[in-house]
Amino acid sequence: MGDIEEVLTIELPVGENFRIQRSRYEPLKGKSKKRISVVSGIHGDELEGQYVCFLLGQWLREHPEAIRGTIDIYPAINSLGIDSITRSVPFYDVDLNRTFPGSKNDFLPAQIADGVVNLMRGSDFAIDIHSSNVFLREIPQVRIAKSQEDVLVPLANLLNIDFVWVHDAVTVLESTFAHTMNTIGTKTLVVEMGVGMRLGKAYGHQLLDGLLNLMAHEGILDIEPLKVRFPIQSQVGEVAYLNAACPGLFVPLIDHCQIIEKGSVVGHIVSALSGEVLNEVIAPIAGILFTIRAYPIVYEGSLVGRIFGEKQ
Amino acid sequence: MKRFDIVTLESPNRAPLRIEGFLFGEENLQGPSVAIVGAMSGDHINQLYVASGLVEYLRIKEEEGKIIGRILVIPAVNAYALNMGEKNWPLDKTDLNMMFPGYAQGETTQRIASRLFETLKGYDYGIILEGRRDQGMCLPYVKLIQSGYEDLECTKDLGLGFVHYRPHDPVETAMLQYNWQLWETKAFSIVFGKNGAIDKNVSNEVHTSIVRFLSKREMLNIPVFEGRKSNIVDPNRITLLKASRAGIFISKVQCGAHIQRGEVLGKIIDALSGEKLEKIVSPCEGIVTCQYAHPLIFQNSIVFRIASVELCSHIEAKKN
Repeated sequence: MGDIEEVLTIELPVGENFRIQRSRYEPLKGKSKKRISVVSGIHGDELEGQYVCFLLGQWLREHPEAIRGTIDIYPAINSLGIDSITRSVPFYDVDLNRTFPGSKNDFLPAQIADGVVNLMRGSDFAIDIHSSNVFLREIPQVRIAKSQEDVLVPLANLLNIDFVWVHDAVTVLESTFAHTMNTIGTKTLVVEMGVGMRLGKAYGHQLLDGLLNLMAHEGILDIEPLKVRFPIQSQVGEVAYLNAACPGLFVPLIDHCQIIEKGSVVGHIVSALSGEVLNEVIAPIAGILFTIRAYPIVYEGSLVGRIFGEKQ
Repeated sequence: MKRFDIVTLESPNRAPLRIEGFLFGEENLQGPSVAIVGAMSGDHINQLYVASGLVEYLRIKEEEGKIIGRILVIPAVNAYALNMGEKNWPLDKTDLNMMFPGYAQGETTQRIASRLFETLKGYDYGIILEGRRDQGMCLPYVKLIQSGYEDLECTKDLGLGFVHYRPHDPVETAMLQYNWQLWETKAFSIVFGKNGAIDKNVSNEVHTSIVRFLSKREMLNIPVFEGRKSNIVDPNRITLLKASRAGIFISKVQCGAHIQRGEVLGKIIDALSGEKLEKIVSPCEGIVTCQYAHPLIFQNSIVFRIASVELCSHIEAKKN
């Protein structure tokens, strides 16, 4: 089994320590050549990564002879949040993934961020697993800033995901874990899949295969590469955003991950009070509905879906 | 005074969100103008109190014919959060002050920010009343981030003791101050108080400093006392005292105290056994500008920030 350690502890006020735990797997013999860090729970309401960590740990326990590198599993970075359905860092109510690279000379969230960066510094790869949030359901995808496209897209294509989304760089995202790690030389992929506060078993197994495949390609595991799906590449098309035109209750009419025609009715926004259908959400382009709203209450502007389709 | 809705947003079940503005000197189109933005977070009660106090003060001054510029006050941006003890936008927990300049076709809080920003554009000056992001309370200070369009000189007319003048963090590119500066408003923040509470002395100091600013910048025709000479402080030069242990924190000083090297500033005791875990001693002479404001403290939290007179002078000399 992996070597389980508390790798970051910070005293809490009343008889408890904040802690980040790591499970480390190393080769049974010979020196480790590469290191990968598998990370989940930067947001405390995203649990899909916990299941992937379990599956990976289970696989490694069953195949210790295949390990050729160092595999670090961090299931719960925001451990206070994970155990209390809290997305942000409790007490401070701050999004940990907008606090990187952090600092030893700042408040608790920044100290956690600084600690996390130092723990993973020197890893060749990091896989940061997110589950969207409680509002949106996502197909397994990797999101990559355009500036890192050349380095990261080939790696993402190994991960058995459905979609690689290369987006324009946004300055505010410089405060994320992934940006910080990529800046210091750790090739870091951000996976988004499923929905917050829930577990999708199929997506977990899908990503496990991707992780094993990536590690096989990089020589971290001595196994044959797996047959994985080749993801849709965002560069060949465009993403259309479906935002609610009015407040109400969003009732989807199309299942997640369906191919839809331009003009299809994706869902209704209805009034629970009057019994009226207030608005029809219409697909502006044809394509795959890769994001769908999971939490039905919407305000004007709330994202209810995203379609990836051909450029118009 | 003109009271009007800047933003209204329907909710599925609640009464609509209204962001109200109070405009003074509407007819003074030629004079300088300022917009003052109050509580953007649901815990910025002090900021709400100062802004609403300004509305009442300016209403009286307008009746006396003293308004010579155009002054817009927006006491509460995030009334939904204020009304339910939340800090951020109650549905998706996003921070409204991380959504600027906004996006009219985007998510709800991006749309709110966009509509608000449309109103805020074009003012000569922009004052943002802010609380701290951490559990601290502080002397009122000016936070001026360097966007390339900032105006340090005008902040001195507030007469506050400290101006924190520093490069911007990446997250601040989504905040109001940065974007307002990019749209050529001389924008800055006044950071003060303790989140979730009202400190009357501090509120009074901020109120007075804004009145002084309005007078000196020729928007309010009244005589005012001079304020303090502002010290321009690079935050890296402020001494940070950290808690090496967690527990119950007892402070022995108040913000603004002039403390000596070796002076005991506070202590941390074990929350269960009552044992004294740490005595916090100042390593230098200076002024306590901020201190931790919650009775329970985490290990490594910053307990005190001390501005050293010598270092402040040093920075002033370098700038001159």
